[in-house]
Amino acid sequence: MPGWYYDKKELRSTPSSQDGIDYKTEMRYRKEGARLIIDTGSKMDLGYNTMATGVVYYHRFYMFHSFKQFPRYVTACCCLFLAGKVEETPKKCKDIIKTARSLLTDQKFATFGEDPKEEVMTLERILLQTIKFDLQVEHPYQYLLKYAKCLKGDKVKLQKMVQMAWTFVNDSLCTTLALQWEPEIIAVALMYLAGKLSKFEVVDWIGRTSKHIRWWDMFVEDVTMELLEDICHQVLDLYSQTDANNTPDSPPLQSQKATNQPPPVSTQRSSNGNEKVVSPDQPPPVNVKVPPPSSDVPPFPYQTFTGAPPPVASYATPFAAPMGAPPVVAAPPHLTGPPPGPPPHITAPPPTVFSQYVNHPPPFTAVVPPGAPPFFSANAPPPNQPHRPYYPPPT
Amino acid sequence: MAYLENSMSADKQKAYEGLNKIGRGAYGTVYKAKDKQTGNDVALKKVCVPLDEDGIPMSTLREIALLRQLNSHDHPNIVKLLDICHGQQVGQDLVMFLVFEHIEQDLATYIEKNPKGFSTLQIRQLSRDILNGVDFLHSNRVIHRDLKPQNLLVTYDGHVKLADFGLAKTYDFDMKLTSVVVTLWYRAPEVLLGLSYATPVDIWSIGCIIVELYSLKPIFCGSSEGDQLSKIFRLLGKPAKHEWPEENTSIKWNSFDVINQITLGQFCPYICETAQDLIMGMLTFDPNKRMTALDALNHKYFKEEPINT
Ligand SMILES: Nc1ncnc2c1ncn2[C@@H]1O[C@H](COP(=O)(O)OP(=O)(O)O)[C@@H](O)[C@H]1O
Ligand SMILES: [Mg+2]
Repeated sequence: MPGWYYDKKELRSTPSSQDGIDYKTEMRYRKEGARLIIDTGSKMDLGYNTMATGVVYYHRFYMFHSFKQFPRYVTACCCLFLAGKVEETPKKCKDIIKTARSLLTDQKFATFGEDPKEEVMTLERILLQTIKFDLQVEHPYQYLLKYAKCLKGDKVKLQKMVQMAWTFVNDSLCTTLALQWEPEIIAVALMYLAGKLSKFEVVDWIGRTSKHIRWWDMFVEDVTMELLEDICHQVLDLYSQTDANNTPDSPPLQSQKATNQPPPVSTQRSSNGNEKVVSPDQPPPVNVKVPPPSSDVPPFPYQTFTGAPPPVASYATPFAAPMGAPPVVAAPPHLTGPPPGPPPHITAPPPTVFSQYVNHPPPFTAVVPPGAPPFFSANAPPPNQPHRPYYPPPT
Repeated sequence: MAYLENSMSADKQKAYEGLNKIGRGAYGTVYKAKDKQTGNDVALKKVCVPLDEDGIPMSTLREIALLRQLNSHDHPNIVKLLDICHGQQVGQDLVMFLVFEHIEQDLATYIEKNPKGFSTLQIRQLSRDILNGVDFLHSNRVIHRDLKPQNLLVTYDGHVKLADFGLAKTYDFDMKLTSVVVTLWYRAPEVLLGLSYATPVDIWSIGCIIVELYSLKPIFCGSSEGDQLSKIFRLLGKPAKHEWPEENTSIKWNSFDVINQITLGQFCPYICETAQDLIMGMLTFDPNKRMTALDALNHKYFKEEPINT
């Protein structure tokens, strides 16, 4: 089995870079392709797993091919097409192309050539060969839910934290994190980040032993704080990137173009000390319609970024988990009894994601299952997607 | 883009040399070849995937995904899938090659080559390997469905690896259209009756195979579904009317008349009592009462001090 993980040096010596595409541009191409997969998938009501699988195919594909040779939006469509079949949510090739077309400018769509369907179908085989038919991909979502079930503490805060971490996982698809770290580690890192930002401090958890210093010691081994910080910063950096969509090479997506008001711009000192421009309406204002929950919980991470950025210093401080302290909080009720219905403020965003989309382009809102922290909802994905039997019984 | 694709698949095939046909099953041809890069022998299984309007069918992709996934566990009793590559499109079919590690022989050949039979110790080892492999499949919710000596590979040091699951089975439907005869001998009663079935079908097959390791000949050699069932009932006895499945089946309880009943001991005198107990637990008519792979592995047959005969 091939390894699908790369170190940072390898990520900088890709076929595209050898083809003369600089690193920043390649990262933008990756982000734009991932975005098209997510936007197209959301518009077609595909599940978050399907979209995430498609994005992982996409990132892997460009570890073997150059963006110069394979135009990114064709590849993006092909990855979503293949992921749909693998995740058993198939969509017709022509419908995917149609939806993608509605999200792209004519100029961008021109890369699909004379016969777009033929182009995507031919690419399917190259894609399969490139990703070595390694079709089953795991994502951080399932781990996020699994880990959350073990954490003790204030239920509302926990929900908030999970919701936030879930969104970070969505956003992480636009980075190359899936090429660097296992989904378990990404889940831990982004829960750590969400915990920090939502001030949900995990002091006790189910299954804790004296060997565990931090809750994730139960699930992953040898994860250093440096590593977690690095992963978090890769996601945070997304929010502080200049809006690359304004470069001529890459005009903004149509739907955004129509509604993109000049965003109030603020600057913030990012982790690596660079001044970065932040546009506050870039991240999904998931909570726009949501009445703010109890005041000690920040409404949403993005407002935290754009309003009052978390002081890097405090963010970097590891949790002070008092060793051997008695459990402070009892297990939340959902762990012992039947899951309660989601509290009203969590049920947002409602299914009207798209009208919202028009006003504020949330990059990923639709990927979050409506009625968020999925583990509370009745139709939540099972934490461990069981394998299907190889052979369906004869009908 | 088409030219790129062709050159890529051509590259792939150049990686293997010296195709020698070694097996021809119902679904595809298997070749022995050498991996030029590693120098290792590999088995190339050629399968034709029928393309539909939307490319490679979902069922095929699902099975490849699972095959890959299973292989990522590196289980010692599952044949290793090394690579997959596709060749040309022929008409509406895409030719694909599954590249496996090459294993000396299959169990059918192994039995043939040992006309004097196996020691109790060997049989126990082979049985345990088969059960370990199947337990692994079942705990991953995979049913093999076609366990038989031809689909079990035996390594040079006498270990068994399961082969031939997944991909090819999408052709069940086509199979009925062709004249290829698929053996019924290892099929569980519920399959013969056309009922819905699950993991217990594999346990039935293993029961038949373990008997064969002792007797060196298949225990139930039916020529049709009905004939196969009546051969089974000679050993098990005909199930009581209330045991006959309620589910709709075209085969009626009345249509069987069991004559010449035999016991396992009569069929093969070498099988010790403990082994008989294990085998009969696997050859149980009702799939719900049949032993599981894990039950079987915990059976005293595998715990007892080896008695070498
Ligand atoms: N990895 C392998 N090494 C050696 N021989 C093999 C291997 N795989 C298959 N064979 C031989 O080829 C035959 C057919 O292969 P199989 O995978 O069972 O295909 P089919 O679906 O056609 O039955 C087997 O019975 C076995 O003899
Ligand atoms: Mg076979």
